[in-house]
Amino acid sequence: MAVTLTKRRFTVDEYHRMAEVGILTEKDRVELIDGEIVEMTAISSRHASVVKRLNALLTGRLGARAIVSVQDPVQLSKASEPQPDVVLLRPTPDFYAGGHPEPVDTLLLIEVADTSLPYDRGVKLPRYAAAGVIEVWIVDIAGDAVEVYRTPVPDGYRDVVRILRGGSLSPVAFPDLTLGVDEILGPR
Amino acid sequence: MAVAPTKRRFTVEEYHRMAEVGILTDDDRVELIDGEIVEMTPIGARHAWCVLFLNEFFVKHLADRALVSPQGPLRLGRNTQLQPDLALLRPPRDAYRKAVPASADVLLVIEVADTSLERDRVIKLPRYAALDIREVWIVDIEGQAVEVYRAPTPSGYRDAQRTALDGFVSPAAFPDLRVSVAELLG
Repeated sequence: MAVTLTKRRFTVDEYHRMAEVGILTEKDRVELIDGEIVEMTAISSRHASVVKRLNALLTGRLGARAIVSVQDPVQLSKASEPQPDVVLLRPTPDFYAGGHPEPVDTLLLIEVADTSLPYDRGVKLPRYAAAGVIEVWIVDIAGDAVEVYRTPVPDGYRDVVRILRGGSLSPVAFPDLTLGVDEILGPR
Repeated sequence: MAVAPTKRRFTVEEYHRMAEVGILTDDDRVELIDGEIVEMTPIGARHAWCVLFLNEFFVKHLADRALVSPQGPLRLGRNTQLQPDLALLRPPRDAYRKAVPASADVLLVIEVADTSLERDRVIKLPRYAALDIREVWIVDIEGQAVEVYRAPTPSGYRDAQRTALDGFVSPAAFPDLRVSVAELLG
């Protein structure tokens, strides 16, 4: 007979308290997803390079129009605080010193996936939609493509497009900004 | 392809710290199993009655020979802390003023199972064995029997015996005490 144990789930406040009192430290590469503290997958050099490319492209082209947040927390709900690879945030004078950005501050959220594709699609994406994040891109390194998810509904995104090398894409928040899939992925 | 992420597991020290700073409170009925904080199953009336009976029986008959700890914590290794329904602990009492009892302090562990039988057998029993708890009883309310497990090995208990309503069970540490299964479960 299978035995399932009910996990004690934590709120964002409890999760922050763990960091304050040193239960979680900077050595912990973790996220809070639905009240569970989960380890983040190891970042390959290929994954890291795509994050660096995105950071350079977005910072260079948007300037002060958005804050580019790299692998920092977004407070999604009372029970989830993920650390997406790249997020474009609505600019604020204090750079979110007073509290982590929330979905309403999030103009575009990007996850770079090599081995983590099923997790990003199956676990994180529905939570981003439920929280009302207006647009998510998943960079599928192995598949040489970028998936664009728009129009969040409670159980997912209504508009999904997969763009291959040779194609380009623009965030809804910045229609004048165009990024090529090849620019994002780099040379093959 | 697996979607499940790796959970951040906690040590017993981190778990205790959560209680000290109020992240976990008295309202939390939880145990730490292999670094995961899990909710305990609710206690029904029959389950509670069995614990009351056993507590009273052992307190009355053991006198100073052992301490009776109902639903108290046991620290079992680096990242497991369980709260069995009852444990008999080596004296003296003061030894536990500042430290949660560990394997070597435990003379007998009793788990009372109504809905939790498989959880006790599959999850908890192997951990008690691996941490060298010398004797475990599982009181099977539905099955009207008491299972006695002795001789722990890293992979489980070597001796297992199931005693039905017509029998008696005695702790190896106190062979003079005889618990009537019928009185406990009848």
